[in-house]
Amino acid sequence: MSLLVGDSDTITAIATGPGAGGVGIIRLSGPKAFSVAQAVTGVTAKARQAHYVQIHDRHGDVLDQGLLLQFPGPHSFTGEDVAELHCHGGPVLLRTVLRECIHLGARQAAPGEFSQRAFLNNKIDLVQAEAIADLISSSTEAAARSASRSLSGAFSTQVDALLEQLIRLRVFIEAAIDFPEEEIDFIAESDVLERLESIEASIDSLLAGARRGRTLRDGLKLVIAGAPNAGKSSLLNQLAEQDSAIVTDIPGTTRDVLREYVQIDGLPLHIVDTAGLRDSADAIEQEGIRRARTEMQSADHILLVIDSSQINNTKDSTTLIAAYKGDLPPAVPITLIRNKCDLSETPAFIDRDKDVTEISLSARSGDGIALLRQHLLSAAGMSDSDSSDFSARERHVLALEDCAHHLRQGLFQLKQHGAAELIAEDLRYAQDSLGSITGSFSSDELLGEIFSSFCIGK
Amino acid sequence: MDHPTHFDVIVIGGGHAGTEAALAAARMGCATLLLTHSVDTLGQMSCNPAIGGIGKSHLVREIDALGGAMAKATDQAGIQFRVLNSRKGPAVRATRAQADRVLYRNAIRSIIEAQSGLQVFQQAVDDLIIENGAVQGVVTQTGLRFRAPRVILTTGTFLGGQMHIGLTKSAGGRAGDPPSNTLAARLRELPLRVERLKTGTPPRLDARSIDLASLETQWGDEPRPVMSFLGDPDQHPDQRCCWVAYTNQHTHDIIREGLDRSPLYTGVIEGEGPRYCPSIEDKIQRFADKTSHQVFVEPEGLTTNELYPNGISTSLPFDVQMALVRSIQGFENAHITRPGYAIEYDFFDPRDLRSSLETRAIGGLYFAGQINGTTGYEEAAAQGLLAGINAALAIREEAPWCPRRDEAYLGVLVDDLITLGTKEPYRMFTSRAEHRLLLREDNADLRLTEQGRKLGLVDDERWAQFSEKRELIEQEQKRLLRSFVHPGSPAANSLNAKLSKPLSREYSYAELLKRPELEYADISALDSLGISNPQAALQVSIQAKYAGYIDRQQDEIDRVRRYEGLTLPSDMDYLQVSGLSNEVRDKLIAQQPETLGRASRIPGVTPAAISLLLVHMKRRQGKSAKTLDSQVPEAPKVQQQIH
Repeated sequence: MSLLVGDSDTITAIATGPGAGGVGIIRLSGPKAFSVAQAVTGVTAKARQAHYVQIHDRHGDVLDQGLLLQFPGPHSFTGEDVAELHCHGGPVLLRTVLRECIHLGARQAAPGEFSQRAFLNNKIDLVQAEAIADLISSSTEAAARSASRSLSGAFSTQVDALLEQLIRLRVFIEAAIDFPEEEIDFIAESDVLERLESIEASIDSLLAGARRGRTLRDGLKLVIAGAPNAGKSSLLNQLAEQDSAIVTDIPGTTRDVLREYVQIDGLPLHIVDTAGLRDSADAIEQEGIRRARTEMQSADHILLVIDSSQINNTKDSTTLIAAYKGDLPPAVPITLIRNKCDLSETPAFIDRDKDVTEISLSARSGDGIALLRQHLLSAAGMSDSDSSDFSARERHVLALEDCAHHLRQGLFQLKQHGAAELIAEDLRYAQDSLGSITGSFSSDELLGEIFSSFCIGK
Repeated sequence: MDHPTHFDVIVIGGGHAGTEAALAAARMGCATLLLTHSVDTLGQMSCNPAIGGIGKSHLVREIDALGGAMAKATDQAGIQFRVLNSRKGPAVRATRAQADRVLYRNAIRSIIEAQSGLQVFQQAVDDLIIENGAVQGVVTQTGLRFRAPRVILTTGTFLGGQMHIGLTKSAGGRAGDPPSNTLAARLRELPLRVERLKTGTPPRLDARSIDLASLETQWGDEPRPVMSFLGDPDQHPDQRCCWVAYTNQHTHDIIREGLDRSPLYTGVIEGEGPRYCPSIEDKIQRFADKTSHQVFVEPEGLTTNELYPNGISTSLPFDVQMALVRSIQGFENAHITRPGYAIEYDFFDPRDLRSSLETRAIGGLYFAGQINGTTGYEEAAAQGLLAGINAALAIREEAPWCPRRDEAYLGVLVDDLITLGTKEPYRMFTSRAEHRLLLREDNADLRLTEQGRKLGLVDDERWAQFSEKRELIEQEQKRLLRSFVHPGSPAANSLNAKLSKPLSREYSYAELLKRPELEYADISALDSLGISNPQAALQVSIQAKYAGYIDRQQDEIDRVRRYEGLTLPSDMDYLQVSGLSNEVRDKLIAQQPETLGRASRIPGVTPAAISLLLVHMKRRQGKSAKTLDSQVPEAPKVQQQIH
């Protein structure tokens, strides 16, 4: 597949520099720019006027508050319809908003692509054209350099292994299609289902690693959950106050969710404090609990806080966690925080040997907070102990997710006894998705693999 | 002397490319001359006696949709018809026919003779008349000069043809025919890149010497498929079976012992052979652990005893050929009627062609078929048709035409050849087409016949039949959207028996047809208002069931459409494009791609380089010139309902 993309589509990107800043801008350009902006804000904006908006995700939950500006083409930077969302600058938040835009049909822009569109639509004069050309070539180089950096080591090895598996499978299926008169039943002999399931498992573990690795760059979404009055808000304040690098402080957009952006030793943290989890008849509180659960679904890590002064301290973590079983998403790592150790007269400690890491601390006195900070750094992959993760970029994660999607589709076809040509189609798309990381693979190369694998032809 | 008749188009060569080229040009109203060294071998099948197969039948149906001859001739000459891949999905389904060589030749010859505006003349061509960088005619062996502003060369394997049997070499374009050496030498003087390719054939056998009763038989399919959209099984002659035989370890030992006298393994043959059609000695060397290979024993026709053992193509010495053939079970007493041989021939790098198949170097000169590095009757015929069309368009002073990659295998074929070139004889496979699900055998007419009609290739009979079919499909699709089944109704109950979950709400017929458990027959049985034309019913069904996949491919096509239509100026100075790497610049200079889309498919040309080209073209135009956008076609959506 060609990597070329026409200008008929809508592009989006984080327009502000990387890292934490006061304000971050998501820019959209193209025919769907306004409809995407409207979908995430619920506001039909007037041209060239700043609108104070709430930015929400596909479930209707508020992510941030900020400004929306719209510039109808041709009177815009690119000459197309352009929308800008000015958010609070946390990288995790910006990434989340960007993903929502992509989910709504925009495409992540290539380096220099906004400028390129501006130029093609006569928005930049000829003198500036030179600079644009330089920009495209240099940003591509920069992207290539950083890509090769992030592709070194474990990530690259695993992507290559995955690609290899995928090509092997495609060789069998395409050979079966293009050479049906050969004596070998390529599909029956290759255990297609088994191979496909094994590829799917590989990509899932690769994705998990890539997502963890991504937090190195973009930070971690940390959700604090637990029963009411377990000390969640104190913990949030402790983590926030102790750090001088607080970026912003947004009061809860709902009564029940509070967000903080902090950095611990350079690791950006997006901390969400949630409503206490308990059965409640109160409608507003129920809504708060529902939102807490939604936040946990998208968390990179959950701190489950319990009040150690209120429970029998001999209870093990499994029993304690079991009480919240219905609320906790299965795939997100959890740390059990035994808060109020000052009241229960137990020392601060960390225990990594259990299924779930436990930390005993006091959010009020600050005792044990250092242990938590250290633990969070290591959970984000920033300690030496965890070398299996890799520094994947957002586009790598998107490509892997795309690939996984097509593999699932192919698996579905296979189980439905769909036609071989449809399974082949899904696998081709899956490989094309990987191609944006590994480079493209032509049909002639595929044929070459077939001819070197099987004795074909009469 | 100068021949007194002035022609518009001259076609050199009477094979599958030449005949389609001449027919197309004549149908489009050009005074056309077909020059061949032998009128008796017009439409000759030089290699195996079969038409169609995976990817190839797709081309045959496209040729047919554009009014070409190959499918019609196959329906008159086919002695066994099969559908390959019948269970792997409609897009990769392919029709293949064994053909009687004599009947096929006769069918082609009578189509040629019935074509008004087309003259045939028997004489080898030795030279081209080239004036001011453009071709103006040809000179035959005897010095006869024919004048025409458009010349199509379809010389197959005849240019510098050299045949090998063991270490013995002989000059020839095909067993029994002389090569075109004078013309080859003359063409080598032109500023075109020439290389050598190799192909081969097996020894032919006398059926009376084979123990056919001991071999597996393979009959054609019933109901018997047809090749042409206008075809009917009643046109088919008597049907025959094929047989399957197998090589064994003893066969392989004989071959290994003969390798020291193999032109392939002693370096005598330099041309590159096809990877997918290796000689038997190649198979045994490259896949040494395989203990047996299939040999398809194909009848050459109804009126001959000759058999074509497909799978043992070889250039080993004749004594080894005899021994290896006789080592095969059932072939113990085989008499070889013609030895197998390899042939090396000149081909011209197709990257020196435009998408019209006109050479870049010589105006008015077109190449089609094996001369462009392809193999196969179908690939040749498809190119011949396209070259004939474009020669005729040029005579009419109209813009050239070539289908896009998403419109036809013919588009894939030409785009691959002129952007990628080829290192081995190029054969079509369905995996070469990224829009495979759209390019089906069954919808070739819906993809191309309207275009063929516009070009003047499609006669009234075909057009009437096609229009009726298309109308039926559209009407039926509308009806299916308007008709509903209500839960609990007798219709719903009759369907529930086939469904995994019973119908719980109202469904349109169109929605129901998408269910994998239901076929078109189930839906049309609901009220017996369905259509009976099986071709139209098949379209309705496929388009419903594949809608999701087809839409996705359509999205992909729409995304790249803008660049596909963006022409790169022929005087483009790539040295002036800032930011291009030297590697990319060299490739662009060497290939001079016609469009930005084609540039993007040249290996090594990056998306960033394409961006730079866009920016450069914009600069070049300046502010005052017409905008780039006015050049971009409107990207008309390919009509979904007919795909």
